[in-house]
Amino acid sequence: MSGLVHWVEDVGEDWAAVLAELTRAFNVSRSSAQGDDSIVYVIRQDDLLGRRGAGNAMVACGLLSAARTAALEGARKGWTANVVAFDEAERSAAEGWAHRLLDDGSVNGELIRVGSGHIGKTLA
Amino acid sequence: MNGTIVVTGAARGIGRAIAEKMASTGPLTVIGVDIAPELALSESIIPVQVDLTSIEGPGLIRKAVDASGSPLVGLVNNAGITRDARLINLTDEDFAAVLEINLGAAYRLTMELAPLMSDGGSIVNIASRAYLGNFGQFNYSMSKGGVVGMTRAMALSLAPHVRVNAVAPGLISSEMSMAIPEDIREKMVDSIPLDRMGTPDEIANTVWWLLTPLSSYITGEVIVVGGGRSLS
Repeated sequence: MSGLVHWVEDVGEDWAAVLAELTRAFNVSRSSAQGDDSIVYVIRQDDLLGRRGAGNAMVACGLLSAARTAALEGARKGWTANVVAFDEAERSAAEGWAHRLLDDGSVNGELIRVGSGHIGKTLA
Repeated sequence: MNGTIVVTGAARGIGRAIAEKMASTGPLTVIGVDIAPELALSESIIPVQVDLTSIEGPGLIRKAVDASGSPLVGLVNNAGITRDARLINLTDEDFAAVLEINLGAAYRLTMELAPLMSDGGSIVNIASRAYLGNFGQFNYSMSKGGVVGMTRAMALSLAPHVRVNAVAPGLISSEMSMAIPEDIREKMVDSIPLDRMGTPDEIANTVWWLLTPLSSYITGEVIVVGGGRSLS
């Protein structure tokens, strides 16, 4: 299955930077959907919990929600949208999981957490 | 509870119900914010007409808080819009408009007002059940997911002095939901275990609880008020 892996960039606390990063993800997502290609967003686990500031949290949590919506739309067309959230020490493993999700195609709208930092924390 | 509470998007629907609820339940000063030129609220609510996405918007609300003469004890970020389309058809303009109002305005206003919040204050952000995903709402879902992220981050950064939580309404009887075609709306209601749309008052009741000391040990949480729709 074809598709792409979208790595989220760090942003600061400035709204313009947050919007720019979300817009970059939107542009990539729309192009991907128009080509019936699957997509995997890669974010940091800490950002789902808001541990690295509001800017990064808005981007990570916003993308997770957008991915779930994209997944609903992709399900009708045969492509998927998923999210990989990684602990900093597991960054290289995240890449592998992202490609596994693209290659497999049977998982859709899912959040895969790489590492153990999420255990005992809130569900995203 | 005594002090000032700011509610955005107060002219109609959920925001109006929240502002009216707060105004009716205690010695509070309620500032109702909206872009609508006619803010027909109760006499006990101070209307502030402002474009929340403008550069001067947050500062104008801060001035209204200062003028109220009482400490800021609550902020409800409720203002929001929809511009629905499937992702493949979603325009740059509709994407940006929803993100700017639903997320950017809430973030900038919170950054402006958080330093004014008194110890024990409470911020409630109105997210949406759509943060779990909703067909045709890539922009709206993203904006509301962003609100959830903002809620968690600010719950950490403003603790222990101010609590920050989110309420995620499901299908609520309001202008926004009435814009959904009737046949689609009926299908949506059919998938709600409680078998009906919610009311703005039911959201207002939850927000009220989160603003009061009754919820004093809760922060960083998202409460879905959706009639069980997330299960069906």
